[in-house]
Amino acid sequence: MSQWVINGILTGIKTTGYPAKKETAPGVTPGLPVGGNYPGDKINALIERCPTRVFSDSDGQIIVENRRCIHCFRCVRGIEPPIGWDSNYETGRFHDGQHEFGQPFHRSIHICVVDAGDCGACLNEVKQLNNPYYNMHRLGFFVTPTPRHADVLLVVGTVTDHMRVALQKVFDAMPTPKRVVAVGACALSGGIFAESFVCSKGVTTVLPVDVEVPGNPPPPLAILHGLLVAVGRKAPALSEPTKNR
Amino acid sequence: MNQAELKREIEHRWHGRAQCEYYPGYLSEVQCERAVLPELCGKLFLEWGLSFAGLVVEEGQTDWQLRYIFYGDREAGWVHVLIQAPLSEKKFPSIVKFVHAVDWHEREVEDLFGLHFEGHPRLGDFVLHDDAWQENVEPMRKGFDAKIAMQQRKPDEDWRPRRIVQEPGAFVMPIGPKFSGVTECVHFLLESVGEDVIRSTPRLFYKWRAVEKSAEGKSPDEVLLLAERFAATTAFAHGLAYCQAVEKICGTSVPSRAKVLRVFLAELERLRQHAGAIQEICESTALVVANSQAGIFEEDLLRISGELTGHRYLFGLLALGGLQCDLPDAACHKALKQSEQTLAQLNQLEERLRVSSSFLDRLEEVGSVAWRNAMVYGLLGPIARASDLVRDLRRAQAYSGYETFQFDVPSEKEGDGYARLRILFAEARQSVRIMQQALAALQSGSVREAVKVQAGAALGWVEAPRGGAFHWVRINEGGKISRYRIVAPSFANWHGFHLAVEKFAFQDFPIMLSTFDLSVSENDR
Amino acid sequence: MGWLGCLAAIFLLLAAVNALYFGNTFVQPLWALRGLTTLTLSLDRLSAVFLMVTGLVLFPASIYAGSELNRQPHLQHGRVFTVLMFGLYASIGLIFIAGDVVSFLLAWEVMSILCYLLIVSAREKQNGHADSGYLLLAMGEAGTLVAAFGFLLLAVQTNAFDFTGIKAGALILDKPTRMTIFLLSFFGFGVKAGLVPVNFWLPRAYAAAPRAFVPVLAGATLNLGLYGILRVNADLMPAIHAGPGLIALVIGTLSALLGILYATTDNDLKVMLAHSSIENVGIITAGFGAGMVFVAGNHPALASIAFVTALYHLANHSLYKTLLFFGAGVVETQAGTRDMDRLGGLIKWMPLTALGFLAGTLSIAGLPPFNGFVSEWLTLQTMLRSAELSETSIKLIFALCGAGLALTAALAVTCFVKVFAMSFLGMRRLEENQKVVEPKSGALVPIFILAVLCLVFGILPTYIIPSLDSALTPLAGASAAENLVPPFFASNPDHNTLPPAFLQDFHNLGAQVGQSILPGRGLVVLHRGGEQNPVVFAMSTSYMFVTLIVLLLLTYVIVRLWLTRRRMLERRVRWDGGVRKLLPEMTYTATGFSNPVRVIFDAVFRPTTVEDTRETVAEHFRTAIRREKERVHPVDKLVFRPVQVAALWIAGRLAAIHHGRFNIYATYALLALLTVLVVFLLFQAS
Repeated sequence: MSQWVINGILTGIKTTGYPAKKETAPGVTPGLPVGGNYPGDKINALIERCPTRVFSDSDGQIIVENRRCIHCFRCVRGIEPPIGWDSNYETGRFHDGQHEFGQPFHRSIHICVVDAGDCGACLNEVKQLNNPYYNMHRLGFFVTPTPRHADVLLVVGTVTDHMRVALQKVFDAMPTPKRVVAVGACALSGGIFAESFVCSKGVTTVLPVDVEVPGNPPPPLAILHGLLVAVGRKAPALSEPTKNR
Repeated sequence: MNQAELKREIEHRWHGRAQCEYYPGYLSEVQCERAVLPELCGKLFLEWGLSFAGLVVEEGQTDWQLRYIFYGDREAGWVHVLIQAPLSEKKFPSIVKFVHAVDWHEREVEDLFGLHFEGHPRLGDFVLHDDAWQENVEPMRKGFDAKIAMQQRKPDEDWRPRRIVQEPGAFVMPIGPKFSGVTECVHFLLESVGEDVIRSTPRLFYKWRAVEKSAEGKSPDEVLLLAERFAATTAFAHGLAYCQAVEKICGTSVPSRAKVLRVFLAELERLRQHAGAIQEICESTALVVANSQAGIFEEDLLRISGELTGHRYLFGLLALGGLQCDLPDAACHKALKQSEQTLAQLNQLEERLRVSSSFLDRLEEVGSVAWRNAMVYGLLGPIARASDLVRDLRRAQAYSGYETFQFDVPSEKEGDGYARLRILFAEARQSVRIMQQALAALQSGSVREAVKVQAGAALGWVEAPRGGAFHWVRINEGGKISRYRIVAPSFANWHGFHLAVEKFAFQDFPIMLSTFDLSVSENDR
Repeated sequence: MGWLGCLAAIFLLLAAVNALYFGNTFVQPLWALRGLTTLTLSLDRLSAVFLMVTGLVLFPASIYAGSELNRQPHLQHGRVFTVLMFGLYASIGLIFIAGDVVSFLLAWEVMSILCYLLIVSAREKQNGHADSGYLLLAMGEAGTLVAAFGFLLLAVQTNAFDFTGIKAGALILDKPTRMTIFLLSFFGFGVKAGLVPVNFWLPRAYAAAPRAFVPVLAGATLNLGLYGILRVNADLMPAIHAGPGLIALVIGTLSALLGILYATTDNDLKVMLAHSSIENVGIITAGFGAGMVFVAGNHPALASIAFVTALYHLANHSLYKTLLFFGAGVVETQAGTRDMDRLGGLIKWMPLTALGFLAGTLSIAGLPPFNGFVSEWLTLQTMLRSAELSETSIKLIFALCGAGLALTAALAVTCFVKVFAMSFLGMRRLEENQKVVEPKSGALVPIFILAVLCLVFGILPTYIIPSLDSALTPLAGASAAENLVPPFFASNPDHNTLPPAFLQDFHNLGAQVGQSILPGRGLVVLHRGGEQNPVVFAMSTSYMFVTLIVLLLLTYVIVRLWLTRRRMLERRVRWDGGVRKLLPEMTYTATGFSNPVRVIFDAVFRPTTVEDTRETVAEHFRTAIRREKERVHPVDKLVFRPVQVAALWIAGRLAAIHHGRFNIYATYALLALLTVLVVFLLFQAS
């Protein structure tokens, strides 16, 4: 078995410097659209083009509701001019203004991950949090299979009708204090499946959500950021719709 | 046999009761009477060696149309067996005695359309769980009113799990739908008397999002988004199948650069998905260093995909008629080079795993699926090829230019967990080989051809990383989708999963689950 | 039934206490039988111990039997039952105070027949109870016959029929005779006691016996066999070589192992308790065997310890087994079934019964501060003391048997965790319309009497051991009390004969704590070693009990008043993986719990597959998998079946001479007469 030990040592350290340093490797995030100025005659075309109505018009300024962005890229490809794009991955934020979670969440937390009907990408990104690149254990985040030991409930997926009871049971089985982190466009707004009669329009219709991480799927760094917001080690992204940066 | 022989045989055997029309090199359509249907399908499946792709039910204005899709290799092509009946008719003969692979298709149709298949011993409680919905909710019918259905819901309070094992002291161990650490939601009912799992019954469709229903009435562009996102770990493959179906309906010919780039991206996705599957297997056996190594490779490939296309899972690249945007050659070559490096490391990982006896102990001769069972259940993809059931759509029914590339389709004979693992590594090597040939064949040109939407119906298919995926699309006169049927490879593989699990201890269960590389979101839609 | 029975039990107790504590033993000749012997009654301390145990058991058993009979208004059956039971009480008492061979055997026969009658008088709708009763009778008669042979051999060799005479004459017996007598009495009485290989009647008889009778069967009649073994081989004929003791030791261990294995894997509450009785009898017999080896090897102190331990275990077993059978009877009447796979969650409806049953379960599993712990611990310590013997082969056998007994102790814990958990805890698996309520006080009072006794026997071993010791000192030749409960604690410190190093060790253990406050003798039982190592081990269940209470109270106080002061205590939904409804069939069954034991000890059980069918519809739809395995007990396979086959064969051959025609029988009579005449003439001539 020594071959494994040697192999492991020779691989070296792959872990990202985040959150101490900014991660700049290519391909770590798809980014999100950014609002701001846009030629007035083309605004309506842009708003129509987005399949999930991410954009809205406010006095000639584009407002982005990135909870609904499903990364179809139709606002940057095949349209002139393309919308502004932001490769920042620190997009986690509070659902409605609560800023202090309290002492139990200041150290390490145990996370119960529930798949309430996701497409597989969000769950895969959550799984990547345990690979050597991100290694969430070093930040004190642990995944526990049982809600009884969990502090944070991480939900991915639009809550399908069949999973409602299970998700509610997980939430009820968790002891207080507990917080809910909703990850991904489906969890925040239902995503592309919002119109289906068996899907709810996001976890917010079922449980009280505390931290939101938008994206489809949000990259592991964004999920890390969301978790760090939950434990108060990172500032959340601005709650207001993003303006010109 | 080829299409002409097929036609002759069919019309000779069921003279007057079955008519066969064929479009050379492409498709044979067989219209037959209901009484003849089971025997005919049995002949196609068992005697003439065709594979079963899926059952598509369409509700027309006045008629039901049931379409049983079979396929063989290049010569035999596609065989669609059609049955029509007036809408008032709700009973149809079941072909499950002859084609066991149709089992779950018929169950799904019974739940979603309300058609009853006589002779099928186990209808009901499939997509619509009996303890959540009452009978006679038929969501796929055109006249379905979701609001009324939700208001008038009456779940069955006395639902009990079906007990197969009748031994004193047997019990049903429930696993899920929330279980383990980071897993998809699926419910297992494992019947046992203590240590061994005697029978496993998965209860799926906890993730049913009614994608097929949502697609009806939308424009083909919008439905492309659904096709990509219902099973996002193989998003490109499903999106590609859908695009090919629509392009066939509209008669669009995709430019050659787009075709080659599509092949390149599909193989990149296959490489990444296989790396992820290998990581799952190493994680389930708790071989920690191998798990970390495979995790590094999967993240590498995700970053390569992200850097090349802007999205780690290749969303937003496909468009009807080609690709949404062009990829610069230099970026493609860089991605190829990085993929080759990752492949070299994957090969080294395979060499190390080959000599780790404690790892192999948990995989060898565990969860074996015999060839005969794999064939009868219609298993697809790497796990079928591990049981020596070789049918790769890239070879058998080549699409998007695959016929111009040289590659092997690896297969193994044992059908156990280790064989499946070896197939994953071998296919990863072949993927890179195809990627190299694709870039060599890349020429400049446009990547998109405009699509003129017209009415029609067609099947699009793709060899997704988990097996063959089939998308049936029908566009109506108004240019909107009127029927979208997805047959994902995990649908057939979940069906056959219980074959591997029986008679093994509880501790082997998660390992066998990981070697099957099943996707719940793909199956549930 | 209840009151009279209690009265009878109190008389027994009084007699026993009188003999044991006040020394009023007696030997009373009754009637002389010409040509044979004088029928004598003799009550010595050994009999007194057994009488006391029986009295303690019969007191609650009478109450329980009374309440059982009142529950079922079959008055006819009730009267017959009462009469037979009192006859049984009398015969048991007589066996213990029998002073000569003839009265012993007479009383024994009466007891045998009464047992059989009590079982078949039930006339409940159980199948096979007549067969089981008949088997009990047949085996009982066979055992009595063999034991009688042993007794007669002993009497003839020592030329006396009364016990005092036999004891005097037994000193001159030689080894082969002793071995023969030992084998005859051991296996003869072993039938009644329940030792391998003659115990195959026991599970069947216990299963068939009526609820009111089974506790007496397990708590009182089982001891008779052990009394017989002990009386013949330790009292009348003390061992002079190690052979008999080793045989007893090995057979005891084997019985214990087989008994607990079958108990762990059985799901019927009553049958399982029967197998567990076999296990406990095996432990007691192993203790006897160890004692006999020590006597033969001239270690009187060790022998005394071994005998005391064995008798202590006997007393404990009577108490907690009776208690458990009460509980099983209550469960059967209130829940309607004995199958643990179908019980579950009864604690919600029968909390008091569950509490009493829990006391019994903890006792039999050997957990402090209950009585099972003391006797199991002492047994294992005795096995360890075999290191002081000289012969290596004997030490090896002791080591193996000690390991075997340790294994049985571990399996016993598994077994009884399963029993309590599957019957009382978890989800209810009975049908909806089965109403389960707490039984009437007639059934609860005996349970609690015995539960309290179990606790008392557990936390006051320092009082029990000297009583037992006074009965056993003549058998072993030395007193164990010195070694187990040193008189250091005696209120009179002048009786101190212990070396100072020992006392110092003692002080360091803190064993003197509370001596002035607590009444009576101290609370520590310790196992004393030799010169080098004065204190081998010290243990105090009384201290444990007190500490347990204190810790529990402290925990409660801390949690309630401090830890939860600022936080809420919440009751949350049971986590079940998110299923919509957790159903009873999704819970672990008793079979599932004991399956690992079944699999590991497969070589012992050797189940044969009776059915292993897979039904399919349409070739691939599995509709049913039916599997059934059958187990044949090894004793059945190796002893019972061959004997059965042989007996039937012999009977078949003999049947050949039964033609049924009168002429042939007349010819037989004529032939016999002629043969006798010829023989007589021949002998007359010579």
